[in-house]
Amino acid sequence: MAIVNLQNVTYKYPLTDSPALQNINLQVNEGEFVAIVGPNGAGKSTLCYTLAGFVPHFFKGEITGAVEVAGNESSKSTLHEWVLNVGLAFQNPFNQISGAKYTVFEEIAFGLENIGVPRDKMKQRVEDAMQLTGISELAERSPYSLSGGQQQRVALTSILVMQPKVLVLDEPTSQMDPIGTREVFGVIRTMAEKGMTVVLVEHKVEWIANFADRVIALHDGQILMEGTPQEVLTSDRLIDKAFGISRYTSVARKAKELGLWKKNELPVTLEEAAQGFALNPTPLREKKAHHEN
Amino acid sequence: MLIAFISPFYWTSHILILAGIIPLSIIGRVTREYLNAVIRIILPATGFLFIMQALFQPLPGKELFRIGFLHPTLESTLFAFRNAARVFAIASSFTLFLLTTHPRELMTDLTRRGLPPQIAYVIISTLQILPQMQAKAQTIIAAQRSRGLDTQSSFLKRIGSLVPLVGPLVFGSLVEVEERAIAIEARGFASTRPKTSLYDVPDTSSDKILRWILIALVVFALAARLWLS
Repeated sequence: MAIVNLQNVTYKYPLTDSPALQNINLQVNEGEFVAIVGPNGAGKSTLCYTLAGFVPHFFKGEITGAVEVAGNESSKSTLHEWVLNVGLAFQNPFNQISGAKYTVFEEIAFGLENIGVPRDKMKQRVEDAMQLTGISELAERSPYSLSGGQQQRVALTSILVMQPKVLVLDEPTSQMDPIGTREVFGVIRTMAEKGMTVVLVEHKVEWIANFADRVIALHDGQILMEGTPQEVLTSDRLIDKAFGISRYTSVARKAKELGLWKKNELPVTLEEAAQGFALNPTPLREKKAHHEN
Repeated sequence: MLIAFISPFYWTSHILILAGIIPLSIIGRVTREYLNAVIRIILPATGFLFIMQALFQPLPGKELFRIGFLHPTLESTLFAFRNAARVFAIASSFTLFLLTTHPRELMTDLTRRGLPPQIAYVIISTLQILPQMQAKAQTIIAAQRSRGLDTQSSFLKRIGSLVPLVGPLVFGSLVEVEERAIAIEARGFASTRPKTSLYDVPDTSSDKILRWILIALVVFALAARLWLS
C-alpha cells in the first residue's frame, strides 16, 4: 500500500521561470526503500523538500498537483504537523546540529521537547534511538566535538527519534570521508532491516544497490526511468545523460566490449562484478592478450 | 546588581562584595575563577574608571595634589571610589551568576516562566555558534593568505584585507542559517503544542524565600534612595 503518493507535481521556486520539478508521479509503498539518483540540478533535493513539506511551506513558490503522505495532503497541513509524518536529514551534518544543546543526548531530545513529549517517555525514546543507531557512547559528548560521520549519525538519530512514517535522506554521505560514509550507511542499513519507509538521494550507487528496492532516475526535474537497482543503475540511458555510474559497471561494460563479460546484466556492486568475472573459465590476462592479438 | 545600583549608601557595595559575593563564590566553589575574572577584567576596568573620575570629575572641595592641569579633590576621589565600587559589585555579581548558572538551566527555567522559546534559542545558539564562526573566519583567513592576501602589514592594508574575509563569512553564514532553520523546523521547532523539557530545574522553598528576601532588599534600597534624595 502506497504511503507516499505524488500526483502530477510541478513546482517552481520563487523568482524562477523554469520548474524544478515537472509532472512527478511517484508512489512509495510502506516499508519500501527507494533511492533517487540524478546529476546536479536534476531536482533531487527539491523532491526531498517536497516530500518533507518544505516545498511549498518553507520555500514558497508555485506548486501544482498533490503530495500525500499517510493519507494527509501537504497543502492542507502545516509544516510543523507535516514533520511528524516525514523526517528529513540532509548533506551538511554541522548545519543540522541545532546549536541549542550541549550534549548529544540533549540534541536528540530537542525535537521531542518541541512536540511536547513527556520527560520520562522522552528519555526512553532517546535511549532507544541512540541504541538503534549505535551512538549510545556519544551521549555526553558535545555535538560540536564529533567527527562528520558521528555528527551525521546524531542528525539521523535526531530525526529517527521523532518516529516519522517516512524518512527522507538527501545525500547524507556527500560530505563524508570513507569512514564517515560507512558509519552513516551502517545506520541506513539498520533502517532498511527494520522495514522503515526510506527515500534516499545518493550519488554512491554501489551503496544504493545494497539497500534499495527500487531506484528512480531524475533528470531536469522529471522522472527519466525507474526500476530495480540493477535495471536503472546499469542502463545506457543514464550514461547518455551524464549520471554517475558504478566503477564496477564501467569496468564490466568495457570488459563486455572486449568479450570478457559473459553475463547479460552488468554489475553495480563489487560482489556482482566478482561473481560475473568468476564465470570466465580462462584467466582474464590470457583472454585480453588473445583479444589484442 | 540592582541593590548596588540603587542603594544611596556608599557602604552597600563594599558589604555586598565582602559579605555576599566572596562568600557565595566560596560556597559555589568558583572562587578561583571569580578571582581570575576580578584580576583580569573587573579590577583593571574599575581601576581605570576610578582614575578617570577622580582626575576629571570637577567636584569642588579640598584639593589633594596638583600635577599640571590635574587637581583631584577629596570629594571627586570619594565620588570616583564609590562609583568604581558600585561597578565592581555589579560586574562581580554578574560574573558569579555566569560562573554558577549553566545557560541550559537558565534558559530552561526562563522558558518555563514564559520566555518565548525562539528568544531562548537565539541566546543559547549564539553562545554556541560564535566559537564555530570564529573558527570558520580563521579558516577563511588561512585560505585567503595562502592565495597571497596580506593580513599582517600596515593598518590600512589589514582593513582592506577584511573585504575578502567578510564576503565568504557573511554569505556562508546566510546559507548556514537557512539550512539550520530547515533542520530545526524538521524537528518540530515551530510546533504549537506545549513544549516539554528534558531537564527539571528545581525551585525549592529556600530558593523562593531567598528570592523574596532579595526583592525586599531591592524595594528597601529603592525606598531609601527616594527618601534620602
